[in-house]
Amino acid sequence: MSTARRVPDTAQYLPERLTFRLEPGPDDEVRLVVAAADFGDAVRELRQAGARFITLFLAEIPKLALTAAFALYGELVLLQAPAGESGVIAYSEMGEWWPATAWAERELLERDPRISGAHRNDQPQLTHPDADRIEHAVTGLDVFAIPYGPVRSGVFEAIQFLIETGGEDVPRLHTRPFFKHRGIESRFVGLTPDVAVHVAERVAGIAANAYGCAFSHAVERALGVEPPRQAQRWRAIYCELERMACHLDVIAKEAETTALYVGQARFQILKERVQRLRARLTGSRFGRGVVVPGGVRFEGRVSAEELRGEIDAIERDLRRDQRLFLGTTSMTDRLIGGGRLERALIEEHCAVGPLARGSGISTDARHERPYDDYRRLGLRVATRREGDAMARINVRFAELSESLRLIRQVVGHLGRGDGNLSTPLPRWGSGTACGWAEAPQGELLFWVEIRDGLIHRVHIASPSLRNWALFDHAFPKDVLTDFAFIEHSFGLTPAGADR
Amino acid sequence: MLEWIYRGLSKRRITTRYPRGSEPAPAGFRGRINVAETEDVAPVIAEVCPTGAITVDAEGRVALDRGRCILCGECVRAAPEVFAFASDYETAERSAAGLVVGPEAERTSPEALRKALGEQAAMLRRSIHVRHIDCGSDGSEEWEIQALWNPYYDIQRLGFFLTNSPRHADVLLVTGPVTAPMRAPLQRTWEVMPEPKALVAVGTDACGGGLHSWGGVDQVLPVDVYVPGSPPAPIAIMDGLLLAVGLLKPDGELAA
Repeated sequence: MSTARRVPDTAQYLPERLTFRLEPGPDDEVRLVVAAADFGDAVRELRQAGARFITLFLAEIPKLALTAAFALYGELVLLQAPAGESGVIAYSEMGEWWPATAWAERELLERDPRISGAHRNDQPQLTHPDADRIEHAVTGLDVFAIPYGPVRSGVFEAIQFLIETGGEDVPRLHTRPFFKHRGIESRFVGLTPDVAVHVAERVAGIAANAYGCAFSHAVERALGVEPPRQAQRWRAIYCELERMACHLDVIAKEAETTALYVGQARFQILKERVQRLRARLTGSRFGRGVVVPGGVRFEGRVSAEELRGEIDAIERDLRRDQRLFLGTTSMTDRLIGGGRLERALIEEHCAVGPLARGSGISTDARHERPYDDYRRLGLRVATRREGDAMARINVRFAELSESLRLIRQVVGHLGRGDGNLSTPLPRWGSGTACGWAEAPQGELLFWVEIRDGLIHRVHIASPSLRNWALFDHAFPKDVLTDFAFIEHSFGLTPAGADR
Repeated sequence: MLEWIYRGLSKRRITTRYPRGSEPAPAGFRGRINVAETEDVAPVIAEVCPTGAITVDAEGRVALDRGRCILCGECVRAAPEVFAFASDYETAERSAAGLVVGPEAERTSPEALRKALGEQAAMLRRSIHVRHIDCGSDGSEEWEIQALWNPYYDIQRLGFFLTNSPRHADVLLVTGPVTAPMRAPLQRTWEVMPEPKALVAVGTDACGGGLHSWGGVDQVLPVDVYVPGSPPAPIAIMDGLLLAVGLLKPDGELAA
C-alpha cells in the first residue's frame, strides 16, 4: 500500500456536526465509522451534504459492519457501523425518507439474518417474487391489474411489471425484479482473483467488460497494484465498444417498437459489426476472457490500422443512420415527452447512467473518479435536460460519437511505452476495497474482500437495480401503449439487477 | 421514409448462406474446447476448472463436460497439450451425453429425430414458430437469440418466426439454469405449447448449470437439443434450431 495516501478533498465537505472516525483505506476512498445507533442520523447528514446513495451491504473484513456507499461530489464515501458483541446489527429503515435506499435495504433485511429491523419477519416480497401474486393498490371502477412478465413477449429477460390501468392511463406501475436471482455473489467466494473475474464477466453478460473491469479495479486497489498503461488502454477500448453495442441495441429496439423496420435493421447491422469486431479482437463476441486483475491477458488481435479502419467505417454509417433516425418524425414523436423524469426525482432516487444524464445530471464514473486510461482522456459527458425518452436516446447518440472519438484517441496511443500487459498480484495478499466502472447502464460498484489471496466476499451495486426503481415513476402522463418505448429508453438488464 | 428505403436498398447482401454454405468463425474465436488424445494426465488438472467440468478417470484420460464449461480457458492456459480452443460455431448436441467430449466419451449416437415436427415443418413450408423464455441467464444469450432475426443471420429465410404466445409455438428456447421463481412459469409455458413440440436449451447455464451447481433445464423438463456456449454464437443457436426441427440430418446435410 502506498505510504503517501491521497485523502480526497471530500473530507472538507463532510458535515462537521457528526464526529466521524476516519479509518484507513485505499486511495480515493473515505471510510467513516459510526456507532450502529447513529447510522441513520449519519446517513441523513450525508444526504443533506449532497451525497448520492450507491448501496448498502454488510462488510465482513476487518470486522462485521453495516456499510453504506455514497458518492459525495463524485468522491467515494463508505459509512460503516460495526456489529456489537452479539454479531447482530439493529437497523432502522431509511427507505421511508430516502426512496433510493428502499430496495437495497429490503434486499439486506430479507436476505441476511445478521441484521435486525422492524420488518425483519415480513414475508420476503422483493427478493422472492411470486408471479401469481397480484396486489391492488389503486381502487376504482374499471381499474384492472395486468401482470406483465416474467415470461415476456419477444426475446427479453425475465422481470415482471404489475400494471394497474383503466385501459389508457397508468395510475400505478410496480416493478418486480429478482426473478432471475442466481446468488452469483456467493459464486466468487474462495476463488483466486484471476479466476473470479470469469464470474464477474457473467453477472450481466451484456456488460461483461464493465463488470470485469470494476471487479479488477477493486482487487487492484485492495492489493495496491497498478495495471500497466498498455493494459489500461485496451480496457478502455473494450469498455467503449461494449457501450456502443449496448446503446445501438437500445436504439434498434426503439426503432422496432415504432415498426421502423429499415431503421431497426440498420442499427442491428451496426451492433452486429461492433460485436464481430469484439470477436476478432478478443475471441469472444462479448469481449470475455481478456480483462484480468492486474492488466489484460493479451493484446487485441487486430492491428491498430485495421481497428481504425473499422471504427471509421462504423462511424460513416452511424452518421447517416442517426440523421435519418432523428429526422423520422413518426419515430421521434413517440419519444418526445414520453416517460418524463424530473431532475428532482432522479436526485431523490440517486439514479445513474444515461437515465440521469438525460435529466440534466452529469454523473459519470469515468469523469468523477477516472480509472484506467480515462485518467488521460478528456471525456465529454453528454447530458440533456428534457428528461424524456428522446433525451435518453439523444444522450446515447452523443455517447456513441464520444465512444468512437475515445477509441480513436486510445488507438493512437497503443504501443507507447513498454509492452507490459499485466502486473503480478501479491500471492497471499489481503485487503478490502471498492472498485468501479461506468457500465453502459450507469455507475457500477464492486466491494471486494480478499483474504490470503482468495476472494472472501463480493458485493455488487449494479446500476440496473438502482435505476429500475424509477420505472415505477416513469408514467406521469403516459399511456399503456408508451410502455415499450419507455422501457427500452431505460436500457437496463435484469441479470445485473438480480445477480 | 423514402430515404430509409433507399438506405435499405443501397447496401449489398450481407446475409449468411448458412446452412447451405458454411460460415467460418473468425480466427481465434472461442467456440468450444477440444480435448486431445492423451493418457496418464495427473488428476489434479480437474482442479483448474472453476465449474468442475473436467474429470480424469483412473487411466488418466480426460473428459470435458460442455454442459458445465463456460469457455473461460483456465484449462487451456494450464495444460495446452491437453486442451485447445476450437473456432467452431456448430456446437449443438441432441443429448446430454453428447456434451461430454474426450477420448473415452461416446460420440453422440443420434437418436430418432423428431419426425413429427420435421414433417409438419415440410407441410407448412418450414413455418416454425419459436418462443423464448429466460430462466436466469446472464443476458447475453438473449442478445444472441435476438441477433438471429437481424439482417446478418435472418433466420426468417429458413422459416423461423418469433411468436408471442406459447400456444402458437413449436420450439421453446430456454436460457439460464432455471432459478426458483422461474420454475413454475417455465413448466406452465411448456404445458400450454401444442404437440409436437421441441425444447432447446441455449447456453451453458441452461445445458448443465454452467457456473451454478443445481444443474440445467433438464432437471425440470426434457431437453431435445443442447446448445452449449457462454454464450453460444448466433450460428450455433441456428444450428440447434435446425437440429430441433429435424431440418438438418445428423450428418450435417440439409434435408430436402
